[in-house]
Amino acid sequence: MTAVTTTRPADEIVPAKRRDPLLIALWITLVVIALIWIAPFVFIFFTSLKSNAEVMSSSAFAPPASVHWPNFEGAWRNGDFGRTLINSTIISFVKVPLGLLISAMAAYALARIRLRWNKALVLFVLFGTMIPFQVMLAPLFTLVNGLGLIDTYVGIILPYLAFGVPYQVFILQGFFRAVPKELSEAALIDGASHITVFRRIFLPISLPVLAALLILDFVNTWNEFAMALVILQDSAMWTLPLGLMSFQGQFSSDYGQLNAAIVMTVLPAMIVYLIFQRYFVSGLTSGALKG
Amino acid sequence: MLNPRLLQTPRAHALILLAPALIVYTVFAIWPMINVIVLSVQRWDGLSDARTFVGLANYEHIFLRDPVYWVAFRNTILWTVLSVIFPPVIGLLLALGLNERLFGRGALRVVYYLPVIIAPIAVATMWRWMYDPFFGLFNQLLTNAGLEWLIRDWLGDRTIALYSVFVAYTWQSVGFSMVLFLAGLQSVDRSLVEAAHIDGANRWRVFRHVTLPALKPVLTIVLVLSIINSLKAFDIIYGMTQGGPAQSTQMLALWAFTQAMQIFDFGRGGAISVTLLVITLLIVVPYLRWTQREEGRP
Repeated sequence: MTAVTTTRPADEIVPAKRRDPLLIALWITLVVIALIWIAPFVFIFFTSLKSNAEVMSSSAFAPPASVHWPNFEGAWRNGDFGRTLINSTIISFVKVPLGLLISAMAAYALARIRLRWNKALVLFVLFGTMIPFQVMLAPLFTLVNGLGLIDTYVGIILPYLAFGVPYQVFILQGFFRAVPKELSEAALIDGASHITVFRRIFLPISLPVLAALLILDFVNTWNEFAMALVILQDSAMWTLPLGLMSFQGQFSSDYGQLNAAIVMTVLPAMIVYLIFQRYFVSGLTSGALKG
Repeated sequence: MLNPRLLQTPRAHALILLAPALIVYTVFAIWPMINVIVLSVQRWDGLSDARTFVGLANYEHIFLRDPVYWVAFRNTILWTVLSVIFPPVIGLLLALGLNERLFGRGALRVVYYLPVIIAPIAVATMWRWMYDPFFGLFNQLLTNAGLEWLIRDWLGDRTIALYSVFVAYTWQSVGFSMVLFLAGLQSVDRSLVEAAHIDGANRWRVFRHVTLPALKPVLTIVLVLSIINSLKAFDIIYGMTQGGPAQSTQMLALWAFTQAMQIFDFGRGGAISVTLLVITLLIVVPYLRWTQREEGRP
């Protein structure tokens, strides 16, 4: 009873909003679309927990009658997920922080040290954000092969760094440019070098942007497929996406295991996203919209 | 030995800071782009020492004697046109909806964006299974709804395979446009919108005359990014159809890869890549010039 009386005044303050039929229709539409958007995940997840017999007999969105864990065990073993998971982890954990560091260094120099060719260099870097590396898979293979780095971590990390640099440098130099002059000038007059100013002042204040870029880059690196396909040919060096692709080819009719493999591949990126989702949006939009 | 004082100048520090990023970028991103042009005028299997200069013979072959090239070309254009229309329009509509103060809009945004962060190759595997002609989601739903006559082999039928792949691509990429539009909508002046409402303008007119003009910069960015991303379409097609059936989903990026890495004809693969590169540059260079001009404005 008390709840009813206390909500009444609030009702009277926003009567127009509550009764706006257009907004209610809009809300219902958005929820229905969201349900459609999430349906594939539900379908995949349910299938991953069903035995093959149940997949063929039960309807698509029926929850599994009894949880069939052997799918995950089988997919883990048959897809060699232990190995691909380790490869993906090593490559991402080396590439992402290293790439961010060299990008931040270059961005600082472009934004805060007066050079004659600053503007040209920024354009040169910006150009790289728009060039599709899918066009260059063959020459990339030729280059990495010429260096004797096919099927090595270094051989895949170097191109990953190269194609991560443009976007990150571009965003960070925009950010550094907006930092007030007073912050660095005093230190420079006191005799600190640019490298010290970068390390002691600019790195700490740009932590939020760096965090956003770190997460964005982690997901991109984790998901990358085309370059890995060309450079990592030995199955012992495969990353998760390559492992999933091969698994799909071999076990396409073992529906339970196939879906378990999909769940295991997408879960890490999904968890990272759900934990850090507000950084994603800022990392994505800060650059694109100021561009 | 270098004079140590020389290493203390701002110029030297700039070089130290710039060098790692610029070297790796130049060697592993810019050089392959130049090298692909060199490859395109040679005959080479990618591994042996036998590399011969053949002039424009590779181009002549792909343009005049390779029937797949023009199929891939047509598909790439069709795919690009579809990608510039559907994901951005749906993304804009969702962003406009989520820009209202609605219950649970944060959660809705998370849901729409979720497919963006999934590996395209995993999206391909998911949708391949959903399109499975026997036990896949779509044909099951159609059976349950009594619409058996609509049942198709979604990826096996050459007349619809490209569109089936495109539906999966749309599902994945709508969230990307949506997030950019949502950010752009923050720059729309609220007081201007309210003033227009008070002056008696209806929702459509407010959108047309207040919101849309303010969204113009974002709109340009979304369209350019949509075009560029669509030219890159590779993973999702490789994962779903590998260009089949009967080359009906073949694309330039994938055909270049197939020629070089599977047929071991680096020359022809390079020539296909160069044509795609030229198309990309025709879009990128004017865009870059436009952004430089905008930056020059106050």
